[in-house]
Amino acid sequence: MRIKPATLLRHGILIAFSAAILLPLLWVLRVSLTDKLTAYKIPPEIGHLSFDNFIEVFTRFDFSLWFANSFGIALATTAISLPAATMMAYAAARYRTGGAPLLVTVLASQMLPPIVLVLPLFLLVTTMVPIGGRAAITLAHVAVNLPFMAWMMVSFFEGETKQLEEAARAEGATRWQAFRLITVPVAMPGILAAGLLGFILSWNEFLYALILSTSKSQTLSVGLASMETQAGVNIAPLAAATLLGLAPVLILLPFLQKYLIKGLSLGALK
Amino acid sequence: MIKLLKPLCAALVSTTALASFAHAETLTILMEAVPDTEYVQALVPEFEKETGIDLEIEVVNYAEMHTKLVPQLVAREGSYSLIVVDFYWVGEFFKAGWMMPLDDYIAKDGFDVSPYVPAMMDLVGAIDGTTYMLPFYNYAMGMLYRTDLLEDEANKSAFKEATGMDLKVPETWDEYLKQVAFFTKGDMKGVVNQGLRPDPIAMEWSNYLFANGGEYMDDTWTSTLTSDAAVKALDDYKTNIDKYGPVGAASFSFDEAFNVFAQGGAYSYITYNFFRAAADDPSSSQVVGKTGIAPVPGVEPGKTGSLNGAWGWAIPKSSPNPDLAWQFLKWVESKDVAVKRALQGGSPTRTDVFDDPAVLEKYPHMADLKALLLGSHNFPTFTYTPQFVEVLGRELSLAVTGDKSSADALAAAAEEFNELAEKDGLKK
Amino acid sequence: MQTRIEAADQRFGWMLSAPGLMLLGAVIGFPIAWALFTSLFDYTLIMPSYDNFVGLDNYVTALGDKEFGHAAWVTLTFVAAIVVVEFSIGFLVALMLNSTERGRGIYYIILLCPLLMNPVVVGLIWRMLLHPTLGIVNYLLGLVGLGPVNWLGDPTNAFITVVLVDVWHQVSFMIVLLLAGLSALPREPYEAARVEGASTLQSFWHITLPLMRPVIVVTLLIRVIFAIKTYDIIYIMTRGGPGDATDLISYFIYRRAFVGLNLGEACALAGLLLAVIVAMTAYLHRVMRKV
Repeated sequence: MRIKPATLLRHGILIAFSAAILLPLLWVLRVSLTDKLTAYKIPPEIGHLSFDNFIEVFTRFDFSLWFANSFGIALATTAISLPAATMMAYAAARYRTGGAPLLVTVLASQMLPPIVLVLPLFLLVTTMVPIGGRAAITLAHVAVNLPFMAWMMVSFFEGETKQLEEAARAEGATRWQAFRLITVPVAMPGILAAGLLGFILSWNEFLYALILSTSKSQTLSVGLASMETQAGVNIAPLAAATLLGLAPVLILLPFLQKYLIKGLSLGALK
Repeated sequence: MIKLLKPLCAALVSTTALASFAHAETLTILMEAVPDTEYVQALVPEFEKETGIDLEIEVVNYAEMHTKLVPQLVAREGSYSLIVVDFYWVGEFFKAGWMMPLDDYIAKDGFDVSPYVPAMMDLVGAIDGTTYMLPFYNYAMGMLYRTDLLEDEANKSAFKEATGMDLKVPETWDEYLKQVAFFTKGDMKGVVNQGLRPDPIAMEWSNYLFANGGEYMDDTWTSTLTSDAAVKALDDYKTNIDKYGPVGAASFSFDEAFNVFAQGGAYSYITYNFFRAAADDPSSSQVVGKTGIAPVPGVEPGKTGSLNGAWGWAIPKSSPNPDLAWQFLKWVESKDVAVKRALQGGSPTRTDVFDDPAVLEKYPHMADLKALLLGSHNFPTFTYTPQFVEVLGRELSLAVTGDKSSADALAAAAEEFNELAEKDGLKK
Repeated sequence: MQTRIEAADQRFGWMLSAPGLMLLGAVIGFPIAWALFTSLFDYTLIMPSYDNFVGLDNYVTALGDKEFGHAAWVTLTFVAAIVVVEFSIGFLVALMLNSTERGRGIYYIILLCPLLMNPVVVGLIWRMLLHPTLGIVNYLLGLVGLGPVNWLGDPTNAFITVVLVDVWHQVSFMIVLLLAGLSALPREPYEAARVEGASTLQSFWHITLPLMRPVIVVTLLIRVIFAIKTYDIIYIMTRGGPGDATDLISYFIYRRAFVGLNLGEACALAGLLLAVIVAMTAYLHRVMRKV
């Protein structure tokens, strides 16, 4: 079998890119299997390898709580903001609802650095609407993610889908049906990409999670940061926790597989 | 889409249902991620068993702690029963009225504050005669050095030949600088510095300032940072980073600097005293049993350049349950518990803990630490200390990178210090 | 004149937008109004009160602040650098991935990994890798006779290092969006082009780029906004140093608000930033519409 030069070049680039991402993580894996002393030895020594750090992450640190909180909050954030953002993006793209000013205003709400918003938000959720840690963080994340997700999706609702929709409408579908049954499936790659990035934004968000959390609702980002102490960074357990923190990729895989990875395109649908 | 959303919605419901609310009999404490916090955490079950009170300790990274605390303290009712306060927030917290006076509690229970090291009570205890905090642990800075290098006969004779002096734990700043130069050979460096903005560099350089006989200010709260001693201190600092330190020390935080020392890459490191214990931890150090700590040497024998530092416990005015908080505070600061913390490796603030035979037996270097603490200098504490640390850190860093001369950088820092002191109504 | 159908369209549009708008209004509306209001007062956290109305003084102070001007300049170069680099790499990889079947899933999973690491961890891990004397990167460079590179201790290097670390961390953000855009492109134009004998480069230039323009603009816009808000990675890696080489606006505002506790001024700084980004967004939005 002959491989075309174009294919070779493509994989060459992709492999180089993947290597640039993976090599540092490979070193993280190595550090996660040793202790701090060995981690900083130059020239490097393999030393004694063990899974102690992975155990310590659960015993000395509260990894399972952090992970559950982050995952729950990120999922809930996505579940609330994705449908809302999808509808908003669709309305803006198809019906020009509110026009450009509305769209720009919505995004503008995210342009103030969170640091000046976090105090009033904290006062809001503690005094006016007293809600506990996780729910408060989720709400804050929804407010942060919604505008971005809506903007990401607007362009996916423009162009092609319009004709399909009009055909459906001509056959008697309501506006809602046309949106739900025709447009949403067609725009799925865009919707899921926005959902995925929304999930990631919430997963990594730090400041709101820090200020609004209680000890029971600490998220992974806040928890991991506490591994950097005044007496040094607990680098080996941190490396282990970092790798465990990548687990959502695998958990989300089934959802991503169909639309994002295989790349179901508009052409394929028709 | 619906199929996709169902599990998401289910997750949402469970998340909301789990949302937790502070419980009346729960004592919530915000603490910093440091060894001393872990020592307290280890003892918590004892307290819970004794009293039936639920204790929740929330641990966050130092850098985030201030950010996390401020909204809590501004709010009328926060969620923390008890907090810990770094010495350089004290002026700010006091001015803003965020801390509750403890004198009534102290009088009611006859809690004895006299065993505390006086400098500790000055720094993180009483302000203008009112007690707002109890000192938690100290982090006075000292000079970590390699005992094995000092005791090496070949080094001794070579040093004698080079300088005409005996090689021993340095008693003066000049002697120390000569040793730093002497030990710098190839990959081995005389000193490793923590040059990261703002607090690592500002705190470390303070030792250089005091060691050269400089001061931050005079009695009228006018800055003396433009003095010759201060300029020399900054020149010394630059020389140490550029000539006698490892590549990159200008951006090192404690961790990077400590790792260089722990991997045996430097003769000395001026840092917080709790790193003395870390140097003996075989999981992070190659120099176990080869490390000593001494006060940073001063202009003449008997004087030191060490910077003092400490954390205090305080009950915030926004505390939901101050009485419970005090109950815990008087327990955790009682001599028995303080000794137990010290035995795990903690940094004491009470003289009776320093002198405790069990503590001294387990950690003979405790005597050095006591001497270090007693001789150390305080950083100016006022409402705008954090801001001044920012300014100082920036200017020192600009001098280290060569963007400014030492004199210019210090003049800028002095000017801003004077403005801040004036703004705080301190200037006489 | 609006027809009945148009009116119904409008109603339907607002109905769809309502949940999102209400959520936004409820959660973030008050904080934004609060921040903008506060920017008009001499409001510090030490003495939080609205007794002292100062009008636009905070804005004037901010504009005259040399340190702020410097931070604005550093931010501008930082944003330009990361957006250009990330877009170039991101678009190339997205194009390659889009035309690849085999191994696509694996590539996709790999590129998601850095995105799932939070900036604090990314910063700490890179500080370890880039330790000038004890880090693996300088060790490997040493093996081939290079270095040691002073990654973070020298002003110019530190800036480049922070940019590179950010690229490593965030480049996949662009890939995910651009790839989604690419895979939603229609097939017909390409088939028509092939029939007419157009080269790959020609179809890229005349079909892909124009069709991708809205997605590209949005991707760039969102990335720019995030880049301007960059703060964690600076906090962990350099604290704005050495000197003031990496002092970004967001970190500057953070210091004003939570170190200086001068919230009035911090809000004014944020307000200035808001004005600049809104103007930029409105402009880009118009460009996008002109397709």
